[in-house]
Amino acid sequence: MPSGATPWPLAFRATTGSMRLPRQAWLLAKNDLRQELRDLELVATAGFFTLVVLVMFGLSFAALGRSAQPLAIPGMLWLAVAFVGALTLTRIFDRERESDTLRALLSAPVERLSIYLAKGAVTLLVLLGCCLVLVPGLVLLFPAGAVFAERPLTTAVLVVLGCVAYVAVGTLFAAGLAQSGGKNVLLSVILYPLTSPALMWALVSTRALLEGHPDLNTYLIQLAALDVLLVALGGVLFEAVLVGSTGRKPARERGRRRR
Amino acid sequence: MQGPSVTPLELRGIGKRFGRLAVLRGVDLRVDAGEVVGLIGANGSGKTTLLSIAVGLMSPSEGERRLGGELAPQVELAQRARIAFVAHTTQLYPRLSARENMALFAELRRAAGLDAAPADPLLERLGLADAADRLVGTFSRGMMQRLALARALLGRPSLLLLDEPFTSLDRPGRDRLTEVLADERAAGLAVLLSSHDYDAVVASTDRVVLLEGGRLRGEARRDEGEAGSYRDRVAALGRPDRLAAATEAGAHA
Repeated sequence: MPSGATPWPLAFRATTGSMRLPRQAWLLAKNDLRQELRDLELVATAGFFTLVVLVMFGLSFAALGRSAQPLAIPGMLWLAVAFVGALTLTRIFDRERESDTLRALLSAPVERLSIYLAKGAVTLLVLLGCCLVLVPGLVLLFPAGAVFAERPLTTAVLVVLGCVAYVAVGTLFAAGLAQSGGKNVLLSVILYPLTSPALMWALVSTRALLEGHPDLNTYLIQLAALDVLLVALGGVLFEAVLVGSTGRKPARERGRRRR
Repeated sequence: MQGPSVTPLELRGIGKRFGRLAVLRGVDLRVDAGEVVGLIGANGSGKTTLLSIAVGLMSPSEGERRLGGELAPQVELAQRARIAFVAHTTQLYPRLSARENMALFAELRRAAGLDAAPADPLLERLGLADAADRLVGTFSRGMMQRLALARALLGRPSLLLLDEPFTSLDRPGRDRLTEVLADERAAGLAVLLSSHDYDAVVASTDRVVLLEGGRLRGEARRDEGEAGSYRDRVAALGRPDRLAAATEAGAHA
């Protein structure tokens, strides 16, 4: 039985509805999580990496005096976030690249922004999961880290805001590279410089929290404003990055031509 | 509002350059509703690029793309809702089952306020009912090809673009695809497919165009009243000497 082609006029009244974006983003995020649950690849890689980093930090900085710890802990926290984030973003988009599924989504009636939101949300989830290990680990290893335990809500807000800023930038460029067939090494080359402002802001805010700085709330508000700016920028640029880069031939095709 | 007989795909003067390399030059192509058009040409002749432009995965460097009669500098979501594309790479999630792959795209359509055909009859029709719950990563290439087609038909598209759909299909698979295309054509679907497989192209198309060096070099129609069979005319595309030989052979027979 034929599926029955729909005449074109019907197509133009079909796609309305304000819930389209969040619903599609949820479906795509759920799809990533379902695949992750099948092999736990991301969880295992990111989790193991986080533990190793934590142990290495513990061994390296065990002798650090309490007064110096507030200077070192923010660096440990956000360095680990940066590495785990790059690892996660690479893997998430590698899954799409391996089977060219990103192009299937791009040619389907899917809001491009929902792809950005879904990938960003899954990366954020992985990062926050790692922070759930990292932060208590830092509390246990370093006496100055006790502030995280004393002010859990502020710590949670800070970690979420810092991770959102990182993910907003990272998702944008990871998608562009995945779609254009760019090498993964390029992601790190591009990602670290571009996410540096967000990471530095998060780092300064973390230090303010650990030192009990009176302007901590101002730092957090500024970090939140940076989040809004970066997410908005990512949302606006995402389609251009994806569709712009689709103007290039995918790596597989370029290889075929050369052969 | 457009009329019901609107042309699903029309490309006018399409050119595409990658840097200094011109891959397509001045391509004019139209695919009407209920028509299956074959796109043939050597490797690197621009077939995949042309299909990518038609579906909106690439923007042309020059020329006009019209979808459903509307000028489409960008292919908007409402237009993508009516187009289905089966790429050479099949673009399926290997860690999901066939049914889950279908369900994802059906749910994405429904989330956009669009309808989607039930998955099971489509899987049955493409001979995948028994493998519906198997992970796609365990499928053969031919099975993936069929699943990609089943997924493409989920949205009851008006325009179907197929990039080398006969690749890796065994004889029953080819016959099944040809049969599906014939059914869909009868239901009004417009199809543009690229292939190197002349036999399969001849069996499933109404018209064949030859792309050579990024330009359309010739066309053969099934309903043409000229000498030689459709197969001969397709084989002779771009090589008039072959058509003359085939015609002569026919006259002597």
